Amino acid sequence: MVLSRRLLLAAATASLPLGRAIAAEPILAGVSGPLTGPNAQYGAQWKRGFDLALDQINGAGGVKGRPVAYVFEDSQADPRQAVAVAQKFVADPKIIIELGDFASPASMAASPIYQRAKLVQFGFTNSHPDFTKGGDHMWSNSTNQAEEQPHLAEFAAKLGFRRPAVLHLNTDWGRTAKDAFLKAAPGLGLEVTTAEGYLPAEQDFRPTLVRARDSKPDGLVLLSYYADGALICRQAHDTGLALPMLTATSTYSPKFIELGGAGVEGAYVLSTFFPGDPRPEVQSFVAAYRAKYSQEPDSFSAGAFDTMMLFATLCDHYGPTREAMQAGLLDIKDMPSVIYGKVTFNPETRRVQGANYRLLRVKNGSFTVWDGVKAA
Amino acid sequence: MGSWLDYTINGLIIGNIYALVAVGLALIFGVSHLINFAHGSVYAVGAYVGWACFTYLNLPLPLTALVVIMVCGGLGVLIERLGLRPLAGAPRIAPLLATIGISLVIDQVLQILFTPDPRALPSPLPEWRITIGSGTIGALDVLIAATGLVSAVVLYGFLRFTRLGWAVRATAQDRDAARQVGVDTDAVNRAVFAIASALGGLSGLLVGMYFNHIDPAMSFQATLKGVVAQVIGGMGNVPGAVAGSLLLGLTESWGVALFGSSYRNLFSFVLLLLILVLRPNGLFASARTTPPEPMTGTFIAPSRVVRVPPWAVGLAVAAAICVPLIPAIPYVLQVLTNAWLMAMLAISLTLVAGTLGQVSLGHAALLLLGAYASALLTLDSGWPVWLSVPTAGVLTAVIGTALVAPAFRLRSHYVSIATLGIGEIVSLVILNWESLTRGPMGVTNIPPLAIGGLELDSPQASYWSSLAVLIVLAGLQLRLLRSHLGRTFRAIRDDDVAARAYGVSLDRYKGIGFAFAGFGAGMSGAIAAHLYSYINNETFTSTVSITALTMVILGGMGNVLGGILGAVALTALPELFRGTAEYRMLIYGVVLLLLIRFRPQGVLGTV
Repeated sequence: MVLSRRLLLAAATASLPLGRAIAAEPILAGVSGPLTGPNAQYGAQWKRGFDLALDQINGAGGVKGRPVAYVFEDSQADPRQAVAVAQKFVADPKIIIELGDFASPASMAASPIYQRAKLVQFGFTNSHPDFTKGGDHMWSNSTNQAEEQPHLAEFAAKLGFRRPAVLHLNTDWGRTAKDAFLKAAPGLGLEVTTAEGYLPAEQDFRPTLVRARDSKPDGLVLLSYYADGALICRQAHDTGLALPMLTATSTYSPKFIELGGAGVEGAYVLSTFFPGDPRPEVQSFVAAYRAKYSQEPDSFSAGAFDTMMLFATLCDHYGPTREAMQAGLLDIKDMPSVIYGKVTFNPETRRVQGANYRLLRVKNGSFTVWDGVKAA
Repeated sequence: MGSWLDYTINGLIIGNIYALVAVGLALIFGVSHLINFAHGSVYAVGAYVGWACFTYLNLPLPLTALVVIMVCGGLGVLIERLGLRPLAGAPRIAPLLATIGISLVIDQVLQILFTPDPRALPSPLPEWRITIGSGTIGALDVLIAATGLVSAVVLYGFLRFTRLGWAVRATAQDRDAARQVGVDTDAVNRAVFAIASALGGLSGLLVGMYFNHIDPAMSFQATLKGVVAQVIGGMGNVPGAVAGSLLLGLTESWGVALFGSSYRNLFSFVLLLLILVLRPNGLFASARTTPPEPMTGTFIAPSRVVRVPPWAVGLAVAAAICVPLIPAIPYVLQVLTNAWLMAMLAISLTLVAGTLGQVSLGHAALLLLGAYASALLTLDSGWPVWLSVPTAGVLTAVIGTALVAPAFRLRSHYVSIATLGIGEIVSLVILNWESLTRGPMGVTNIPPLAIGGLELDSPQASYWSSLAVLIVLAGLQLRLLRSHLGRTFRAIRDDDVAARAYGVSLDRYKGIGFAFAGFGAGMSGAIAAHLYSYINNETFTSTVSITALTMVILGGMGNVLGGILGAVALTALPELFRGTAEYRMLIYGVVLLLLIRFRPQGVLGTV
């Protein structure tokens, strides 16, 4: 029965030019992430990045004659659903790697299941320092706050900040970032006047800004995502708070400018991803992204693109099996990447070092490379 | 000192924004005694309609506002006609759930149509600003304040001086009596929903312009703040809602000034609880206001309970025990394990909401308490898991009951709002009490379930241990319902005045009920913590409370087997619709609405 169906399929597709690539069983990645619920926007960005990568991979004939594909299971970034998805993936032998989830409570709740099944959980947005400590099958190419924040502090110093005030999201991500920033600051001659944590659903930052202002800072450092970062800049602008703003890489998104309007004009944005970057990986990604979606990519879609490319490369170099994924991540060196110069994983931390950091400035409503002029 | 002026002005500005939403909520509550959870969704629709008018039609602001008012007014009429009017004879909790279902559907439709990405909604108003203190206010701030005040004044005048306004108030006071004297109460409801929704849509447009940010998730926050504001001002009191909103804005702003932003919502909810306990009818209520009627009790629609024969229950239990014997279905086991954990929460909630008549909207807080208690006992105090899980149940019972005790004197919707507030407070305290709870980083490396040296971390073992705890809890609860305790609980639910007249101490029995419920929910949270190995303050959100309530109603209020059935159905449904990804929450919402419409007393009937 099985045999005859396979024969039939082969017969039906043999006449097509791409017959072999299409008929072959696809190599599958399982994606656990939010497609609905409050974080659905990030899942949507992931999909754009994945699909673009797959266009290129499968357009070039796939991996060893087999197409690469992913199964996206909506978890709403909810731990209960993420663990159910995890069981589904580990039980499906066709799935050889898992990508996601989005937020730490969901990702880390699912980690024990992936670890026990020896299925690689690749949390490409998981910056929680304990995520990769969940087991030797937890990997991440998310930019690491311990690495990023010293860069941010360094740029703050270069911009001439002496007494910055820090506003940070009071989540595991924002907290990690803040601690790393505060640790790096004194060595660079920065005296942080206040560090204000705010809740993720917050929209009104006026009182927070007054509080920051009263600590008499000479600049504001925002450890925010793009939506809340844009709100803060706008409200600072509206309340007439004329302080230079320096924001973390997570605010880099065309939406930051769209939502921030006049408020983000002049803001300094640290970024690992910049469409104007001359490196060929970046240029081809940006051109393809614009052509496919008629919009600008952001760091979430770039991260998803990088991750899917990494997956295809791992399959190609090490073979499409679960064991090969783990072995490949331990072994792979200098993988080209949009976010990083070259990706090599540290086998101890199972994270990547050496992202490209550059400082951008919002000028006339678009991101430009910082011209080196001090802010204060 | 200058900063205090700034904090005050900032508080008033955000208070203005809350007022826009609170006025519409108050109007609807005043007439229908209904917290309209769909109001926030209408508000989001208003924002998106405005965005479409600006972007595609290039309409000026006044025309855009007119379109928004008409579309949202029409949507309000539709909500009333399709979602609420058919439920006129249903238990009074049914329309409340219907609004939750409608809200799910609208939010999902918005998300599918407009993608979940946030969008900018730039204000076309002129860019002038006046400096006050060391901050400034602009044209939009003035427009928002004016809209809030004018709508409150106009509505007040409408209710007081027009014939339709009188009809609205008559309907609010006594629907049946109003009908007898010839008021067309359906028309009144329609009018009220149209006005309130038009206003809601307009507020969405203005607030979207204010933040230059609209997204489909904006609806829940708006509803939450609006509800708090109108409780402060007095439920159903339109001018009070404006005053309550301003007070809420000021409290938040001053709270941030004193303690920092991370405590912000804590002040809103503490203020909410203070008002509820000290002046349950709001700051501005007159002494003559009649006490609220119980939400389930006296007006509960009598329904025939479906008697499930004991052999069928036995068979179902046996089947459930045997499921893990089927090989290679870890996903099914995980979904069912989740269902058993949710079922523990559901039967806990069905006890307080159904049997005792105290509808809790903050039940997820009990999960958080249990999860943290057990996680911290094992990690910080080195307790074995088999001991820490039941201890977490006991701790949750004690802490949960103590927290809710001040709300024992409340009735009806006030209990629901108080528990909603307590739930948010628990989550915020966990976030901020870092020395104990590790704050936003959460608790990592929680050991798996184990008895002695036997680790229960396989899907089968997790399944059986959750099921075993559920069976014991359900058995205890069924026993309790048949005892004098169960009878007393139902007496309190059906008529607390009569119960008191018979010498029943309300507080003591409510305390026993909540303690029992807290124990079960705490165990559920504790087991979940050991299954997940990582928890933080966002592991169990207010959505879980709403889902649990939906399960309870689906199964039939107070019905233990119904609660379990509801939990299994509502955990399995979204999983079954998994293939439809983006559409599954929409389908879930529609299914929920159909159930409420055609079987509001629940599948197995109210006990």
